[in-house]
Amino acid sequence: MTEHRLECPPSLDQETGRALLDQAHRLHPAKGDVLLLDFSNTGSMDSRGGAWMVAIAQELAHRHAELRWEGHQGEVANFIDLIEPGLETAETKHHREEGILEEIGGRAYKYAGEFWEFFNLVIDAIYWTIVGPLEGRGFRWGLWIDEVYEMGVRAVRINFLMNFLLGLIIAMLSAAQIAKFGLGIYVADAIIIGFTRELAAIMTAIVVSARTGAAITAELATMKVQEEIDALRGMGLNVAQFLIAPKILALLIVMPCLVALGMIAGILGGAVWGILAIGIRPENWFHETLLAASQGDIIQGMLKALCFAIMIVLVGCHNGLRVTGGSRGVGLMTTRAVVMDIFFIIVIDIIFATVVYYILDSSMTF
Amino acid sequence: MSDTLVEVSDLVAHYGDTLVLDRVSCEVRRGEIFLIIGGSGCGKTTLLKHMTGLLSPTSGAIRFSGRDITQMDEDQLAEMQREIGIAFQSSGLINSLTVGDNVALPLREYGQASERLIDAMVRLKLSLVGMASAQHLMPSELSGGMRKRAGLARAIALDPPIVFFDEPSAGLDPIMASGLDDLILDLRKLLGITFVIVTHELDSIRKVADRILMLDRGNVIFIGTLSEAETSSVERTRQFFERRADEFITQRNV
Repeated sequence: MTEHRLECPPSLDQETGRALLDQAHRLHPAKGDVLLLDFSNTGSMDSRGGAWMVAIAQELAHRHAELRWEGHQGEVANFIDLIEPGLETAETKHHREEGILEEIGGRAYKYAGEFWEFFNLVIDAIYWTIVGPLEGRGFRWGLWIDEVYEMGVRAVRINFLMNFLLGLIIAMLSAAQIAKFGLGIYVADAIIIGFTRELAAIMTAIVVSARTGAAITAELATMKVQEEIDALRGMGLNVAQFLIAPKILALLIVMPCLVALGMIAGILGGAVWGILAIGIRPENWFHETLLAASQGDIIQGMLKALCFAIMIVLVGCHNGLRVTGGSRGVGLMTTRAVVMDIFFIIVIDIIFATVVYYILDSSMTF
Repeated sequence: MSDTLVEVSDLVAHYGDTLVLDRVSCEVRRGEIFLIIGGSGCGKTTLLKHMTGLLSPTSGAIRFSGRDITQMDEDQLAEMQREIGIAFQSSGLINSLTVGDNVALPLREYGQASERLIDAMVRLKLSLVGMASAQHLMPSELSGGMRKRAGLARAIALDPPIVFFDEPSAGLDPIMASGLDDLILDLRKLLGITFVIVTHELDSIRKVADRILMLDRGNVIFIGTLSEAETSSVERTRQFFERRADEFITQRNV
């Protein structure tokens, strides 16, 4: 053990404190060493000087060395007494290094816990959306109507616009390739098949997750932070019955409508490009569109819409109810919900593609 | 009818790995104003949330009118919760509903009354807390004190035998806080409501307390009447009532 000694300046402030830290640093105190600060000549000390002293204590704690002081008197002694707990607790927290297995186990435990919560939420949601009302345990129809308006009616314009523009873009891209061969009319086929099977459902789901999914998470998270969820539970009300079931049923009704609108919007967007830019006569374009239309494709799109609807509400509610902390927690969970929505949209789409094109071995026929 | 309304036995609670309540036992008697006091972060609100069934303990029992709520299933717990009123620290008013609709919420769910009667009961409950004119306001339009009183009106909507009140005076000016204390005393007198109140406001404690439970770092360090508390031999209790600081108060709860 070596004892290092540093004489403190007459006034310990921002500049001199920094210099003192540099001096302490240059001494390279090793484990078990002691650094003694001599305040005999120090007549004043301000909070920034005190902060540098705390920084020195932290530096030493990090090196497992010890800070001591002597010679302090008058106001300096009072000041050091005041900041002494900060000097004593300056030791940086040492996190025990986790082994790889411990880390994997910890994460598995955490995700298993989250999955269990989600599973319970799904069971609760199914019960209060389907079984509960059938058993006469009530359903909040008033809230359901509000949700249908908020999730559906107010999303009509943005959903129409997004799908219309996507239809336009797909037509532009397809036409750039197909029209070279004089087959521009088949862009109409690409548009209707693409939009009925995939694009309308996916684009609508993205719009709904960004609008409705984020809103659901933010609403529930804020309610949790402000003790509204506790208040509902404290009144013996079931959160799934009160808040989640009306949202699920509302989006189950609204989502197919929005997807149908998205299909129409996408087809119109494609038609605008096909008719105005490729120069195909409108009656030919729409005749080709109708020829390529398939009931199976439309049903496939609608089934996806229903899966997306359930997923968006459940993911939104799950994240909203898991919030901890204040406003930052609300923001984090809202972001997480939208990211999870987008991820699960792709997952559901992959499942549909696998089932329809590989397990059923063809496009769906109904 | 038993004199004991709520009985907590050896309650142990954790948040994650952190022990929050360590073998807490107490009983709340009918008609009394029972205060749970202690410094910030000592587990007062956690105890209240366990007593109301909002949190599940690690171990121990909480009996409400003789029934152990830790053994109840979801439906039984919901039924029990309809028999109690809870007023939250941040009021817990549903922000998307008017004050009147907030008070009407439990009445509509369980009151089995016509809309006309519910409307009249809402006015009555709001009148009791001095907020008759706020029925059609949204919670966001209310001051802190008004929110607390509206939360109390909702808590007493179904005429529960017991009301749990978390930090009634927190964040209120002394006049408003004193008014809320008077309101609690009036409601006890008028409706015979038992109150369990979490607080650390000395003035409120001295004004309303019948019996006091003091927690320190999750442990019960005192149970008794106000006069016993003020002359307690427990150093921490005396320190609390003498409003004496720790040597380094900010480090204590770190």
